Amino acid sequence: MGIGEILFYILIFPGLLFLLFWTFFVFYFSRKTLAYIHKRVGPHYNGKWGSLQTVYDIFKLLTKENITPKSADPYLFNIMPILTPIVASLPVILIPWSPLIHSGHGILDTNYGVLGLVVLIGVEPFLLFLTGFGSHNKYSFLGGMRVLAQMISMEIPFFLSSLSPAILFGTMNLYEIMYSNSWLTTLILLPGAVIYLIAMLGILEQPPFNIPEAEQEIVYGFYTEYAGTNYTLLKFAEFTEILVVSASAVVLFFGGYRGFLLDSFWWLFLKIVLIAIIIIAIRATNPRLRLDQMLKFCWSVLTPAAVLNLVWVLFARLYILGGI
Amino acid sequence: MERLKKILQGFETEYIEEYKSQWLKVKLKKSTDLIPVIEKLIEEGVKTCSTISPTDFIEENRIEVNYFLEDLTNKRNVWLKVDLPRELEECKIDSITSIMPSADWHELEAYSTFGVKFEGHPNLRYFLISADYYGKFPFRKDFDWETHEKNLIKNVNAISQEFFDEYRENETQIGHKESKTVLHWGPTHPASGPIRLKVYTNGEVIEKVEPDIGYVWRALEKLAEFKDFIGTIVAVERVCFMDNTNPMICYAQAVEEIAGKEITPFAKYMRVILGELGRSASHLVSLGGFFGTMGLHTLMMWCLDVREYYLDALEDYSGARIATASIEPGGVRYPMPDNWFKSLRKAIQKFETTREEIEEIFIKNPLMESRAKGNGVFTLNDVEKYYLAGPIARASGAKIDIRLDEPYAAYGDMDMDYVTCSNGDVRDRLLIIFKELEQSADLIKQAMAKIEEGIEKGEMNPKKDHLIRMPRRMPAGEAISRVEWARGEMLIHLVTMPKSTQPYRLKIKAPSFNHTMVLNKLLSQKTLSDIPLLYGSMHICQGDLDR
Repeated sequence: MGIGEILFYILIFPGLLFLLFWTFFVFYFSRKTLAYIHKRVGPHYNGKWGSLQTVYDIFKLLTKENITPKSADPYLFNIMPILTPIVASLPVILIPWSPLIHSGHGILDTNYGVLGLVVLIGVEPFLLFLTGFGSHNKYSFLGGMRVLAQMISMEIPFFLSSLSPAILFGTMNLYEIMYSNSWLTTLILLPGAVIYLIAMLGILEQPPFNIPEAEQEIVYGFYTEYAGTNYTLLKFAEFTEILVVSASAVVLFFGGYRGFLLDSFWWLFLKIVLIAIIIIAIRATNPRLRLDQMLKFCWSVLTPAAVLNLVWVLFARLYILGGI
Repeated sequence: MERLKKILQGFETEYIEEYKSQWLKVKLKKSTDLIPVIEKLIEEGVKTCSTISPTDFIEENRIEVNYFLEDLTNKRNVWLKVDLPRELEECKIDSITSIMPSADWHELEAYSTFGVKFEGHPNLRYFLISADYYGKFPFRKDFDWETHEKNLIKNVNAISQEFFDEYRENETQIGHKESKTVLHWGPTHPASGPIRLKVYTNGEVIEKVEPDIGYVWRALEKLAEFKDFIGTIVAVERVCFMDNTNPMICYAQAVEEIAGKEITPFAKYMRVILGELGRSASHLVSLGGFFGTMGLHTLMMWCLDVREYYLDALEDYSGARIATASIEPGGVRYPMPDNWFKSLRKAIQKFETTREEIEEIFIKNPLMESRAKGNGVFTLNDVEKYYLAGPIARASGAKIDIRLDEPYAAYGDMDMDYVTCSNGDVRDRLLIIFKELEQSADLIKQAMAKIEEGIEKGEMNPKKDHLIRMPRRMPAGEAISRVEWARGEMLIHLVTMPKSTQPYRLKIKAPSFNHTMVLNKLLSQKTLSDIPLLYGSMHICQGDLDR
C-alpha cells in the first residue's frame, strides 16, 4: 500500500469525506422521511428539495461557541468529543465497501473481521458514559448510567447474533462470509438478522430504545451540556456508528455489496438505506420503553433467543448444509 | 337536599337558601362552627372541596370566606360562607385540609393572596405568588399596586439575587448521599412547561415529588377588577389558550345571572358549538402531547393537522384562531357568518377521516399499552378525596360532567351521555380524550342541525339573535357559574357592587390546580421514566394552574 493510497482511504473513501457525506445525507434523509410520515414538508428552502439545509445546520453548529461548564472536568469534557468519532469510525477499515477497493476485501483484510467489528462497536458506549461523567451534571450522569445499563444488556444478543454467520461459514473473515452467502444461507440466518436488527436499535439508541437520551425524562442525557463543535462531533460519531452498524448488518447477513448483474458499492448503499428506512419507520410509530422494561425484554427474551439462534445455526450447518 | 338542610339548621346560621338546582347557600355566624359543620357534611356525603374563595369587603371591615363543597355522587353541593375580621392578626380560621385533602392548596392560595390564616394546616406557607408579594397579600383591596409597580426593578433584582445565592449554595454543597439526589424537573425542561418539580430520587426510583408552581402567575383574578365587564373576558380567556371558549362561557353566565338576563336559544346553541370547538382543539393537543411524553411526535403532528381545521372554523367566526374573545355576556359576540357550517363540516370530516388511522396506529399501540396499562391508577375514592375533575375523573369511572349534572347553554337539549372508562390508569386517561373528541364532533353536528331547523322554522335569526342588550351598570350581586372545561370543572365566583361597571371580585377555579396537587401521590415509588408519562396523562396546563 502506497502512501497515496493510504491518504485516499483516510481522507476520501471510506474515510473522512465519505463519512461527512454520509452524515449530511442521513441527517437530511431521516428528516425528510420523518416529515413525510409526520405529514409535514420537512427541509424545503435551501437547495433542491431542501437538500442543503443539513449542511447549513451543521456549519451553523460549528460556528457556535464551545461552552465548557464550570463544574465539568475540562479535559475529559473536551477530549471525549474528539475521541468518540475516531473510535466510531475505526470499524470502517474492516468492512469491504466496494469491489474496486483492495480487490473487494476490506482495507484491513484480517481473519478476525467479525471479532474486530464487535469489539470496536462495543467500546463506543464506554466513551459515551465518560462524556456524561465528565459533564458533572446530574442529567448527563443519569444518561451515562443508562447507556452502560443498556449496552451491557444489549451487547450480548448483539455479539451472539453477529457470531451466527461466522459459525455457519466457519470463518471470521468478512469477505469470505460475504461471498459464502446465498439465498439459502440468508434464509437460515434470518432469525439471527432479526435479533441483530433489534439489538442494533438498542446499540444505536434508536426508538423504542432511545432511553439514554430521553429528552422528556433526563433532558438529553450525556448530550445535555454539549454545544457547538463538541456537539457536532458527538453527532458525527453517532451517525458514523449508524453507518458502521448497519453496514455490518448488510455484510454479515445480506451479502454486502453483492447484487444483481453487477457487484458495486451502490448495492451496499441501497441496503443500508433500506435499513435506515426501517429504523425511521419504527422511530415514527413507536413510543419509548422504560429502562426496566428494556432490561427485562433484553435478558428474558432477546438473549435466550440469540442463544437458541446459535443452536439453530449449528443444526443447519450440520444437517442442512451438510457437514463441517 | 332536605337532609343537608336539616344538618345545617342545627348550627347558628344567618340564612340557608336554595341556589340554582343543586346548591345550598349557607352563611355561618361563628367561624368556630366550621369544622363541626364540615364533619357532619362529610358524613352525609359532601366529601369534596371545590375551592375556597375569600372576598374582601373593605368598607364593612370583613373578609368573607366562601367554601364550595360538592357531593360528586349525589350532585348536592353546599356553598358555605363565613365572615372573618380584616385585621391580619385576627383573620384566622381552622384548616379543613386534615378532613378534606382537596382543600390543601386552595387554602394556601387563599392565605398567600388574602392573608387568611388557616390554623392547623400541615404546611402553611406562601405559595403561587412571586416572592416580592410575600406577606403583602396582593388581592386585598388596600394593597397598593402603584407603589409596588414603582419598586418593580428593585424587587426583580432581589429575587434574582436570592436565586443566585441559592444556586451558589447548591453548587458548593453538591454531592450525593448514597444514590440519592434531587432533580429539578423544570421549568426549562423539554417536557415540563413552566412548572418545577423537585424530584427526590434514589437511583431511578422516585421517593418524593414537590411541585413548585407560580411561574406564569399573572394575577388574572385581580386584573379583572381593573377592567370593565366586557374587558374582563380578555383576562378570563387567557386562563389557558388551549381551550379558549369555555372559560368565557363560564364568565358570561355569571354576569348574565347577576344582571338577570336570559340569552336567546340561538346564542345558546352557538355557545355549544363554540364550546365544543374549543374542547376539541384542546383535546387534540392533549392527545398528541401524551405520546410526545414518550418521545413519539408523529401523533402530535397529525393532531395539529386536524386541529388546524377546527381553528379555521374559529377563525371564520371570530377572526382569531387562538384568543378568539368570541363569547361575551349576553350571548355570542358576532352574528353567524353565511357559510360557517361549511367550515365546521370540513373540520369534522377531517377528524373523522383521520380517526381510524389514529386509532389503529396509536391508540392500540402495544408498546404504549405496555407502559400505560395499570400504571398510575386513580380509584373513585381518590377522585372524591382530591377532586380530580373532568376527563381524569371519568377515566376512573366517575360520572361527573357539568354539561349533564347542571346543564348550561343548550346542553340540556342535547342527546348525550357520560363518557367513561373503568380502569383509571394512564391508558384510560388517553382513551377518554379520544372518546370525548368523538362526542364533541357529535354534539357540534347536533347543534348545527338544531340551528338549521330553527332558521327554517323562522324561530332563529342568525344575524340578530346572537346578542341581547346587557345593562351598562350591574346591580349588586353574587353568582357562581360552572362549566365543563376541557380539563374538568371550571367554577367562576363573581361578586359585584351596586351600580358597578367592574367586577368586585372574580375567582376562577380551574382543574389543573388539583391535578398538580396529587402529583406526589401519583409519582412516588415510580421510576424517572414515568414522570413525563404520568405528568402528561394528567393533561395539566400551567395557564390555568397559576392563573
